[in-house]
Amino acid sequence: MKVTVKQWHPVAQWRWDMGDDHTPDEEGDVCGICRVPYEGCCPACKMPGDDCPLMWGQCTHVFHMHCVLKWTNTAASKGLCPMDRRPWSAVPCLLSSSVAFAEHRSFLVTADRKVAR
Amino acid sequence: MAASAALRAQVAAKWQESFNRLNRTEPGISGLTNYSHAWNLAREALRPMDISDPKAKPPGFSLEQVRHACEVLNKCRRLPILLEVFTADVKESFVWINREIDAYMAQYQETNDPVVVSQLVLRLRQWYLAWKPKYPLGSHLTASYTLNFQTHLFAHLPPEFAAGFKALCDLTLIPSESILPAQHAFLPSTSSPLATAMSTDMSSPSQLQTQIHTPTLFSAFDTLGLIDRYDSLLASVGYTFISAHISSTCARQWTKPVLPELRKWMTDVIVPWLVVGYAPGCKSAEEARGMLQGVGSRFDFWVNKCVCDLRTEEIFDIIIDYPESAGALEDLKECLQRVDQRAALVSALRKAQRKRLLHPAAETKVILSQYVATIRCLRIVDPPGVLLYKVADPIRRYLRDRPDTIRAIVANLVGDDDDGGEALLDDSEPVQPLQTAEVEDYTEPNWEPEPIDAGRDFRLNKPSDIISTLVSIYDSKDLFVKELQVMLAQRLLGVRDEEGVERERRNIEILKIRFGEAALQVCEVMLRDMTDSKRIDQHVQTQKPSIVHPTIISKQFWPSLDSSTDIVMPGQFQTLQEAYAKEFMTFKPDKRLKWLPHLGTVDLELELADRVVVATVPALEAAFIELFSESARWTVDDLRARVGAVERPAALKALLTWVDLGVLKEENEGEFILLETAEEGGHARSRPTAPVMAMEEPPIVSSQEQEMAQIQVYWKFIEGMLTNLGPMSLDRVHGMLKLAPDYDRTMDQLAGLLEAARREGMLVVRDGLWRLNK
Amino acid sequence: MAAISTRRLGKELKEIHSEGCPVGVTLVSADNFECWYFTIQVMGESEYEGEAFMLKFRFEPTYPIASPAVQFVVGNGQEAPVHPHVYSNGHICASILGNEWSPVLGVISICVTLQSMLASCKKKERPTDNERYVKHAPENPKKTRFEYHDDDV
Repeated sequence: MKVTVKQWHPVAQWRWDMGDDHTPDEEGDVCGICRVPYEGCCPACKMPGDDCPLMWGQCTHVFHMHCVLKWTNTAASKGLCPMDRRPWSAVPCLLSSSVAFAEHRSFLVTADRKVAR
Repeated sequence: MAASAALRAQVAAKWQESFNRLNRTEPGISGLTNYSHAWNLAREALRPMDISDPKAKPPGFSLEQVRHACEVLNKCRRLPILLEVFTADVKESFVWINREIDAYMAQYQETNDPVVVSQLVLRLRQWYLAWKPKYPLGSHLTASYTLNFQTHLFAHLPPEFAAGFKALCDLTLIPSESILPAQHAFLPSTSSPLATAMSTDMSSPSQLQTQIHTPTLFSAFDTLGLIDRYDSLLASVGYTFISAHISSTCARQWTKPVLPELRKWMTDVIVPWLVVGYAPGCKSAEEARGMLQGVGSRFDFWVNKCVCDLRTEEIFDIIIDYPESAGALEDLKECLQRVDQRAALVSALRKAQRKRLLHPAAETKVILSQYVATIRCLRIVDPPGVLLYKVADPIRRYLRDRPDTIRAIVANLVGDDDDGGEALLDDSEPVQPLQTAEVEDYTEPNWEPEPIDAGRDFRLNKPSDIISTLVSIYDSKDLFVKELQVMLAQRLLGVRDEEGVERERRNIEILKIRFGEAALQVCEVMLRDMTDSKRIDQHVQTQKPSIVHPTIISKQFWPSLDSSTDIVMPGQFQTLQEAYAKEFMTFKPDKRLKWLPHLGTVDLELELADRVVVATVPALEAAFIELFSESARWTVDDLRARVGAVERPAALKALLTWVDLGVLKEENEGEFILLETAEEGGHARSRPTAPVMAMEEPPIVSSQEQEMAQIQVYWKFIEGMLTNLGPMSLDRVHGMLKLAPDYDRTMDQLAGLLEAARREGMLVVRDGLWRLNK
Repeated sequence: MAAISTRRLGKELKEIHSEGCPVGVTLVSADNFECWYFTIQVMGESEYEGEAFMLKFRFEPTYPIASPAVQFVVGNGQEAPVHPHVYSNGHICASILGNEWSPVLGVISICVTLQSMLASCKKKERPTDNERYVKHAPENPKKTRFEYHDDDV
């Protein structure tokens, strides 16, 4: 017998690539700021995924991008990582997917405008 | 004897006084003679005559003679005596009449023919008129005669006469269709063709009606005082006639209101009858109206009552027929305003519901649609909603006890009526946000007191739209939203075309208005996942064409996807998956795919030695058949060992799919072989050309199952609480549970949990109090 | 759109209910997402043995980006602990409540920090400027610019 697959409609979940050595626990890891799973979305968003991406710091801490930007945009943050209070500096490579990057940029622009006001 | 002398003198004086009175001042005894003559003449003039004796002749005095005689008698103050004598004569002569009454009644007993009664009545009238003083002796005399005559008459009429009289009256009301409009002009006319009436011949029953001239007969009734005496009997004739007319012409006539027609019919048929009966001799319509006011409103009430009774009896079917039965509901509304039969309506409807609807054989969606129709119908009949509240309560309780109610409501909301269920909502129902019952606000300017028959729990400001009403069967809308998510997930994983997704999207848009945007945000994400999957797939296909078209979901936003069957797809499937995942990662470098291999569908083509089998099957089926391409013989357990965590029954079921398709055969217990060549005749079911759908609902854990799992956590606590403290309200349970470790539910969530426990028969709720189901 | 504080506090509350509070910390009330009350006790040997103190948390809609206003409840039978960083009106001079606030902190971590602040106390006394501060203190401790006495809290 020869089995030919004509079409296959499987189901999959997406999850953020947290690095090869990363094994997420059952509940999934949560953003330290909003405490919502990374695969969920931050309190300001309605859609997860590309609309609410993650942002990695050089310090290897990771948050929802919107959460950490909200924080670093406050004077009180003094631009420090909420976890280790070292200067926050984002790792850009993980934002390379075009959609997420565009989102990111527009978010920054809006955030800047808000600050300017 | 002085005493006797005195007595004699007294007698003499009396005699002289009488003499003087009778003789007056006439000379000699001529006055006395005149008096005597006058007395005799007057008495003869008044004496009742035996009209049944052909030889009997009227005395033939002239009017002048009688008047003169009466004047003489009056001067002598002897008129009262004359009346007394006349009265005695009437009494004595009544034997003649009695004789005839007996004869007629005997005939009636024998023939049962109401015409005999009519003959009797008319004959009695003749007697009455014959004996009636013909001379102007004052109305007093006539009235006293009439009373006297009637007294004797009624004393002698046997009880059977009442029945005969009723039968006769029945004939005066002939079925409406046989009456031509010209024949019932407002006032009775002697030129009516029916005036041929009183031929004395016996006729066949079919001609009976034509023998009876209603006006003549009624005037005889009136003359003889029969209308007053048999008033209720006459009315009952009218009532019966009206009832019969209504049940023959209005039963199951629900499209249009029947009351307008009936009113016209009343005017055309009943009013003329009433006029002859109750307003004889009226000169104008005005006068008739005045005379008929009382009786007319009694009859109008009767019409309303009959219609009300009829519709009450029919109410359940009227509701089934809605909206075709709107007319009947209008009628019912109007009738109920005149006739206080609301309680009867409620009890009739509740009874019919119990018997015809609220039983195990009725499908939930049928109960739901009848409930919705009931809501719509009773809103027409009783806008404040008291009736609805009373009849809805048992349905709501019953629905709450059914495990599939939420699912049925939600299925209907999302238009999932594949199996012919009628949509509960029609397009005319405005889509609006869910309403919840509010606390009464007495300061509200439009506040109105509750209707008088409203029950204890009734609230005027209940949710009024259908969906809110359905949702309010339960304590919380969370249950619905959860079930909605589960159903949406099942449907989305079931659809394979863009159109299907679009349909779901439209449904969700509508539901958002009802349940609120926030509640359905999760559904929004699910729909977005569908579009994203499509977009991603389009991109992947351009890079590296694949026959794999996955649905990629956002884990956090989909209901628990049962993963007890966590299989590893064998052979070429593995390769296909990996290739796709790699391409996905190139497109979305920050994301990875985690396959849910127990979900999804595969279109397969199996090339066997003698045939080609095309089938669309779930993943597990595909995995197994792939393994059969490696080896033609497998045991269930070996297969399970190869694909990973699969329950044995699930594995067997998947194998049976192929057995049904004639591809596999169970050779020994739990051992299957591939049929390279089809078995003779054994598998007519295998049709290689037609793709076979072996799909069913994706294994998504229903929200109810999830709830049951959750309630287990608190069950010990709830059980102990209800055992020790007795029945408790929801908020009390909630308050107590706050003391329990790890309790993190909102009141709404708890309501859902308790509801789930109730469906499982662990709890019961009555009057808002939860208790253990013992 | 609900305030971000609502979702975050919802999560924290859920966790408190499901995992319980650390030893010595008790949730008193959390009926809304504006104001919560806890009591804290210092476990083991300390200057505050047998004493319990009530903490009041007030949240702004931007919590946890903005720090919560935290103070000890004074009055109705409640007293602020006598501690060099705690004023008699209940205001607390602790850096994590001010310039060292981080949005990854939460209600429970604040409770635990304050617990250990009390536990490490060697001498029960009021801050030296207590009277002056209390006299002019704003109602909301967040309006005060504290100069932090120590780096360790």
